Amino acid sequence: MKTSYSKEKVSLVNELIYEIKIKETMTKKFIFFGKNATFREIQLKLKEKKISGVPILDTHKNIIGIISTDDVITAFDKNYINENIENYMTQEVITVPQNFSIISAIQKFEKYEVGRLPVTEFLHSKTIVGIITLSDILNKLLQVTQSIAGKIENEELKNTEISADFIKNTPKKFFRFEGSGDDFNCAGKVASITKKYFKGLGIDRDIVRRIAIICYEAEMNICIHSIGGIITIEVDDENNAIVCAHDKGPGIPDIDLALTPGYTTASEKVRALGFGAGMGLPNIKNFADKFEIRSSLKSGTHLKAIINLGVKNENK
Amino acid sequence: MKISEVTKILDAEVLFGENLLDQEITEFAASDLLSDILTFTKEGYFLITGLTSPQVVRTAELTGAIAILFVRGKYPPQGALGLAKSHLIPILRTEKLMFESCKKIVEGLNKVKKDENQLF
Repeated sequence: MKTSYSKEKVSLVNELIYEIKIKETMTKKFIFFGKNATFREIQLKLKEKKISGVPILDTHKNIIGIISTDDVITAFDKNYINENIENYMTQEVITVPQNFSIISAIQKFEKYEVGRLPVTEFLHSKTIVGIITLSDILNKLLQVTQSIAGKIENEELKNTEISADFIKNTPKKFFRFEGSGDDFNCAGKVASITKKYFKGLGIDRDIVRRIAIICYEAEMNICIHSIGGIITIEVDDENNAIVCAHDKGPGIPDIDLALTPGYTTASEKVRALGFGAGMGLPNIKNFADKFEIRSSLKSGTHLKAIINLGVKNENK
Repeated sequence: MKISEVTKILDAEVLFGENLLDQEITEFAASDLLSDILTFTKEGYFLITGLTSPQVVRTAELTGAIAILFVRGKYPPQGALGLAKSHLIPILRTEKLMFESCKKIVEGLNKVKKDENQLF
């Protein structure tokens, strides 16, 4: 079953095989023999190292031939296994230069039906600097795709540290975050940090959840509808969490209409992400204990949501 | 019902969180609309969705989902997996459609109920 998701997946690998250089992918420590080696010596080495072929190099590391498992089997078959390889080896060796992309290696694997290629220092050179195999390429691709996930994971874990720092340094703190319009990848970070912060303070889970959702909806609103804005979160003396979102515009023409569940002005792009169902503002209003919104086409939108933390002062 | 049981019922592939499947699910939510998820879900729920963007995982994290199931055979992008890993939210994937997945889960839940009733 091929649908759009697999296209996306394939396109990532597609980009990568053009981006990654053979130099970064090849095995640099490789086994080679001189022209005086016998088939027997090579056969033992192939078995020991579990490889399927070795290049034959001269004293200057220039390639003069290659011996594969197939050649060794033929040598067994034809009964010259103890002989010198020089007269039997494949002399026209397909190579690939190290500054090419791995797509070049893949194309040669297909075209010449080989599983490994000696890598030369540069095009038209005979000096061998490494060996590249299909499994080298697979390993590299796996490593790179996983590191994309790893990077996001690490960034996310930093948020935990940020909220831990807030707890340590400021028992009653004031967060201030800047959000820009159209930056969907970052939307939700404020909510995530805020959630961790209040969770770390031991606030009731349901209340933490309401604060997090309010933050998230406010962030998404800045992201979807405005040209950029600021979110602040603070705790007042009566232990209320106050979430404020100020954006620079363009403002809401009819606030009552915007507060109607289901009313939306979101773009198709936003809806494709699963947002923009016209539930944002109604949702914030619903989850907040107190809710204020002001908007003008001149100064942008100012939203304030107050959530009681459900703790008394002496507990703090 | 545990996450691991749902995995079995739906022949789901576990993309992340093999060691987190022992958690008990108390609520289920199925939606392709994140706005709905933000409005109606309860903490500790199991999310069934056909959307695979990183925002799904973000929404799941903020609303307190304990696992995410992607239906219709969809694979999440690396960004979504990275987020899930950092928040320890198991990611499952099934070839089954949304409706069929829900139907199988309900059948599973009913069977558990029936078994319990027979005990007493």
